[in-house]
Amino acid sequence: MMANHCRQAGIQGLMVAVLERGGLPTQAEFHRAISNRSDCWFAACLRITRSRELAEDAVQEALLAAWRKRHQFQGDSSLETWIHRIAINAALQLIRKQRPAVHDARAEVIAEMSDDGDSPETDRANDDLGDSLAAALQHLSEIERICFVLRHLEQWKVREIAEEVGTNEGRVKQALFRGIRKLRVKMAGMRSQ
Amino acid sequence: MNDDLLTLYYYKDGLTEAELREVQSALEKDPSLSARYERLCDDLAQFDAQDAVAVAADVTARWHDSIDRAARIERQREQPAGRLLHIPSFAWGTVVAAALAIGIGLGFYLSGQRQAEHVIDPGMVVDLTPEMRSPSIAFARGLQVHLQESRHDLAALPVDAREERAMLITHMIQQNRLFERAAEQNDASDLARVLRAFEPILMRLAMNELPPGDAEALQAQLAFELNVMLTKLERSASENTGPI
Repeated sequence: MMANHCRQAGIQGLMVAVLERGGLPTQAEFHRAISNRSDCWFAACLRITRSRELAEDAVQEALLAAWRKRHQFQGDSSLETWIHRIAINAALQLIRKQRPAVHDARAEVIAEMSDDGDSPETDRANDDLGDSLAAALQHLSEIERICFVLRHLEQWKVREIAEEVGTNEGRVKQALFRGIRKLRVKMAGMRSQ
Repeated sequence: MNDDLLTLYYYKDGLTEAELREVQSALEKDPSLSARYERLCDDLAQFDAQDAVAVAADVTARWHDSIDRAARIERQREQPAGRLLHIPSFAWGTVVAAALAIGIGLGFYLSGQRQAEHVIDPGMVVDLTPEMRSPSIAFARGLQVHLQESRHDLAALPVDAREERAMLITHMIQQNRLFERAAEQNDASDLARVLRAFEPILMRLAMNELPPGDAEALQAQLAFELNVMLTKLERSASENTGPI
């Protein structure tokens, strides 16, 4: 028992030594980051894409991009945080590719007016997220959800969101306000039930 | 003052310095506005929790593998060909042992009840009963590919980074656990048991130094046995596939 504990401590010590060393993030450090944080990256991507498959792809693309660009990693944040940010960008790119009309103003209005409910895929994503926030988020349009998730959960600045989404700050703010209004109404309804 | 402005104030984002001061001042002077702002804060705080989501083991394995592949491609691009022939280190042999252990287990498993001769210390291999069932072809092929890629990865392991090698052995242990779980999911409990038996060996090998001569001899033997087992595995796979 004690021997096992010591061996584990030895391995952990080596891990710490690697992490404390300067230079490029190593292959082993990437593996460690995946083991420690990939569930959080996946959850963030799932909230943006609402598709388990897209979220998986986003994380994979983020890992490969991070590996290729690891010389750009400054160490200002942790490797995990850096990959998290890249994963969010990858998720946004994937939904942009898949649903290019999402940021079109007319599509946004139509999305707001329609109330068709969720597809089986998004239902499954909600089940995976399994919390009241996920249930409330399903009532937001895509642009509202993205703006809310990025601003509130990911702490992006409005300006950063506008740049990433390819729109102006005013539209991001409006989407955020609408999203929050809807969420507050939904959450109030859930509380009263 | 509407809730939209209060929302931006909450985030301290999207407002000018003058607007921030204006909201601050209004909140201090107007109790009803302050109460409304508190309700907004309470509502937004409900959305703060970010639960992690369970990720399937095979998905996590795919992410790990993508990094291994990217690293391998990069090393192959950067290293001169001669480097691949460098005499392997102790860790090299250790991780080959891990791959071999998995390969041997699979070889025993897939070759039915045929006894493999002089493959490895018999104590390392769990007794495999005649009643065991074959895993899916996809699973067996996945393992085969994994072993082949592991062999390439190991050939390119850096010899002068002890910590890196130790981390990779740790990763091998994690991979071994994933394959063990996958074996269970494929209704191959005997194979899972074999894989499970390898973990304490990997732990021991990861932490103990071997004399260089012993390490080289072990590496040479294991490299040979690995090739034997991969050959058996490939033969078994082709027999299972049959003519198209």
